[in-house]
Amino acid sequence: MTATLNQLMMQDTYQINGKTFTSRLLVGTGKYASNELMGECLEASGTEIVTVALRRVNLDKKGEKNLLDFIDPKKYTLLPNTAGCYSTEEAIRVAHLARATGISDFVKLEVLYDEKTLLPDPIATLEATTILVKEGFTVMTYTSDDPVMAQKLEQAGAHAVMPAGSPIGSGQGVLNPNNIRIILEKLKCPVLIDAGVGSASDVAVAMELGVMAVLLNTAIAHAKDPLKMAYAMKNGCEAGRLSYLAGRIPKKLYAQASTPQKDF
Amino acid sequence: MKIVVNGENKEVAGPATLEELIRQLGVGKETVVAEVNRRIIQLDQRSGFQLSDGDQIELIQFVGGG
Repeated sequence: MTATLNQLMMQDTYQINGKTFTSRLLVGTGKYASNELMGECLEASGTEIVTVALRRVNLDKKGEKNLLDFIDPKKYTLLPNTAGCYSTEEAIRVAHLARATGISDFVKLEVLYDEKTLLPDPIATLEATTILVKEGFTVMTYTSDDPVMAQKLEQAGAHAVMPAGSPIGSGQGVLNPNNIRIILEKLKCPVLIDAGVGSASDVAVAMELGVMAVLLNTAIAHAKDPLKMAYAMKNGCEAGRLSYLAGRIPKKLYAQASTPQKDF
Repeated sequence: MKIVVNGENKEVAGPATLEELIRQLGVGKETVVAEVNRRIIQLDQRSGFQLSDGDQIELIQFVGGG
């Protein structure tokens, strides 16, 4: 019997630093109207890896439920980010704090340079990647879509390189697919599109390019109906992946009839 | 003794350990990470960690993020 959709997806696993995953959608936990809604959206998206951030405890809200009351760390691999860090030192401090929770040694490394574009500081990003890899973290590094930088990060030992499709939270999709193609051609480590996705078709386009997975947050959290969008993202991701594996037809300039043109 | 917790000045009756302070503040979840003067104090070391006047304490936890 031919394989069902579910069987195809379950067999299509990938690894990040030796850990195996099936879902190719990584989902962030920021910007949701409520933690309850976030929990439902994570479930609907089928994700296995969720990004989280670290911030000061609010001392005025004693006993308030914390994010982890809504995310089961046994069910999801937590990917703490270093969002908001603008230097190597800050990013390393946050990574250390994340690991001290005892929950995860994964880190989504982002070292930013500019507040308006949220583009990364390439030099600090490379420095921090080198240090955190040596310290035994599983380092998944956010970068621009520059193919040279992507190669430098892989050489520094990054366990995954994650170019932005377009600026964080912008919803513009993958603006330079050719750069992503070049990165995929050059790198052996997992390449993920991180940031810029706006809709399910953006995820499908990214996956059709052949990236390992897509990481998104705002596109679900700020959709008019986040739960519907979470389902759409899951389907868009699977559609794009299957389309990539199936192999698309070449584009042609002229028509090619689908129906025999004679004998009628 | 005067200490600073998450940027806020606090007056606490000393001597006190880090664990006592965290319990007193009511934020004692296991996944809250504590730093004293920029040094992470692991969960199992908090009960033996004596606070000193002027200590800068940071209590950090996971929040939503992308």
